[in-house]
Amino acid sequence: MASDLDFSPADFADTASAVVAACSDAADLPARMALLAEAGLTGILAPESAGGLALPLDYAVPVMQAAGAGFLAAPLMETMLLARAFGDTDTDIATALATGATTATIAWSGALGSTGGIVGRAPSVQDCQHVLVFRTDGTATLVALGDGAQALPEESLDLERPEGRVEVGTLTGPQLDANAVTRLHRSAQILRAAQILGATEDAMNRAADYARDRVQFGRALADFQAIQHHLARQCLAVETIRNSIARSLSPHCETPVAAARATFVGACDLGAKAAESAIQVHGGMGFTWDVPVHRHLRMTKALAAQGGAAALKRDVLDRLLSGQNKEEEQVHV
Amino acid sequence: MTPTALADRPQSSNVGPDARKWLDANLPDALREDVLQQTPRTLADMRAWEAQLHKAGLVGSTWPEAYGGRGLGLRAHLDISREIGRTPMPESVNSIGKELAGPIIMAVGREEQKLEYLPAILEMRNIWCQGFSEPGAGSDLAGLRTRVEKTADGWVVNGQKIWTSGASKADRILLLARTGTVEDRHKGLVLFAVRTDTPGVDIREIRSIDGERHFCEVFFNNAVVPEEDMLGSPDEGWAAATRVLSIERATNRMHRAWRFENQLQHLVSACAANPATRELVERDYAAQLADVSVNIDLLKGHVETLVGSLIEGEEIGPRGSLPKLFWSEAHQSFAALALEIVSRFPPDMSDPLRAVKLRMEEIYLKARAETIYAGTTEIQLGIIAKRILKLNRKA
Ligand SMILES: Cc1cc2nc3c(=O)[nH]c(=O)nc-3n(C[C@H](O)[C@H](O)[C@H](O)COP(=O)(O)OP(=O)(O)OC[C@H]3O[C@@H](n4cnc5c(N)ncnc54)[C@H](O)[C@@H]3O)c2cc1C
Repeated sequence: MASDLDFSPADFADTASAVVAACSDAADLPARMALLAEAGLTGILAPESAGGLALPLDYAVPVMQAAGAGFLAAPLMETMLLARAFGDTDTDIATALATGATTATIAWSGALGSTGGIVGRAPSVQDCQHVLVFRTDGTATLVALGDGAQALPEESLDLERPEGRVEVGTLTGPQLDANAVTRLHRSAQILRAAQILGATEDAMNRAADYARDRVQFGRALADFQAIQHHLARQCLAVETIRNSIARSLSPHCETPVAAARATFVGACDLGAKAAESAIQVHGGMGFTWDVPVHRHLRMTKALAAQGGAAALKRDVLDRLLSGQNKEEEQVHV
Repeated sequence: MTPTALADRPQSSNVGPDARKWLDANLPDALREDVLQQTPRTLADMRAWEAQLHKAGLVGSTWPEAYGGRGLGLRAHLDISREIGRTPMPESVNSIGKELAGPIIMAVGREEQKLEYLPAILEMRNIWCQGFSEPGAGSDLAGLRTRVEKTADGWVVNGQKIWTSGASKADRILLLARTGTVEDRHKGLVLFAVRTDTPGVDIREIRSIDGERHFCEVFFNNAVVPEEDMLGSPDEGWAAATRVLSIERATNRMHRAWRFENQLQHLVSACAANPATRELVERDYAAQLADVSVNIDLLKGHVETLVGSLIEGEEIGPRGSLPKLFWSEAHQSFAALALEIVSRFPPDMSDPLRAVKLRMEEIYLKARAETIYAGTTEIQLGIIAKRILKLNRKA
């Protein structure tokens, strides 16, 4: 339990930022995964028997925040979640993931029956050795790329973790049961929000720095109230995402399932609007490839699609229509 | 009330369920906001209801027992506030007393003042109003001109207040006035607890966009206020009051996320009960209603996280602007959506649908004020830009 530990989630923030920065100089994905594993980040959630740290989800939040802020080009969230999920059922694969010995991702879109087919939205899939494929019966299979499955090249909005589709012939490999899949989806909602939080905060800080430096009409842009209000709304977005993540993970939260879903759906909208506003504050400079705010925006939009943010809105309405606003929730993220 | 003092207090784990049970059993039908009402409620109804809420321990939970409270912690207040919010009941007619004057009196008042004023607020013997804004001093409050001058008989007040909510029904006005001239700005501001029946105090109601006559102008013409009704000393009263205000901005009307949710749920449940309106919301409004629900969860994130911070003894400072800004805008966009949905109800609508329609129309109009009072949206954005982002400083 978190309370028994002599360090806090925040203690991971600096380590994570430093490792993420080091990753940007690493040659390829295996080299980046090795750096992340060495710092304990890939196995942060995995059981100790799989070489992990067995920490609760709170501890992965600052790590994903650093990944979002620092343009991490690796499927870290997927690796963390897979190493945890297989920790109880397949120690070999969990250990390989937690220690960076193998690379894996998740095809977030689509589900296959027994005959194979095409799934999509698998971040960094071109560089990975395994991909988790969801099944129509609610379970999932970790398929090895190369023999039964192959990644199809694709245009991707996200530049850091280019998404790809996967053509799956034979569905063989380690399995996750439906409960494990549900838990994986819920945890992913929080961790995506954390990644968007990091990206949004970085976009805002870049816009604020630019506004302090750039002079027009003889004054810094930051002196103009219209620009201040842009930045204040970006700040509201950042703090709203931050507080909602904290609430979702708090033991005092009455409805953690709804809270996690709202945190993710809200982060997608708020994060994208804030990044759009950060581009606006940069003027023409904001439209250039070299100002990396567009990378944050691309990533946020890709995460929204991977997590099915638009479709989740229908679940939110169904809950309202059923009148079960304060349902008893049994959860375990 | 310092945050640490609140943190030390006992938390009671049953307050939420107890509040729920009591409210379900005791809210009179005549005060329900979710059913059609034949006759308007009176001030006497509200005084009686709110006094009952206090007797049941649902109001003043964090105030010391010596002043009529329960001496509980902020978490207990949150648990009670959630249940109050979930209950379709009217807003307090004495929220200024309970959430502004009371905490200020606790921070700067003398012991006799606390014993006199505080229980009277909770028991609804004294309704308070807030006399801060003036015709020439709204957002720029430090530009206020109402003057007080010390004489042998007491303090003589001259000037005018405006937008004073509930003044015509109030027993006391929390008056902010100055001893010097307007050039002194934040210096020389002093707080008084003025009886509204003081000779020389003239109160006139102003009709607002919702058709009500709730806010007022208050004129002071050589009104004499006794020395013992001054709150704090002339130099420290305002500074202490603003410290209290920054905490209050973060914690006041803590129930509003849950009341907001009750309004949304009322709208959706009423629509769901009827095939035509159910189809309407499922077909045309699914995503927009989901956005409102998501916003309510995000608002709860602000409220619950700030409560956690206060319990940890952290400074809230300008962070109190975040829930105010977020709530007021999210609630306004909900109100606009709700108004559109109810505008499409069939002409032969049932009474439950008519009750929703009337409630949503009222909410829509009243919500216009939410981005104006307690610091306008533009002022909150300025606070965030200058005091959180510190944009006026070089990086
Ligand atoms: C329903 C209601 C109840 C109220 N109840 C009370 C009460 O009980 N007691 C009390 O004392 N007061 C009360 N008020 C008054 C309220 O606090 C003021 O209306 C508010 O502070 C704004 O002041 P103002 O009306 O003078 O508007 P102004 O300050 O004149 O503002 C007008 C517009 O200009 C904008 N503006 C002002 N300054 C700036 C700036 N520096 N930069 C950018 N934009 C700016 C504002 O945001 C606003 O949009 C109430 C108001 C309402 C609507």
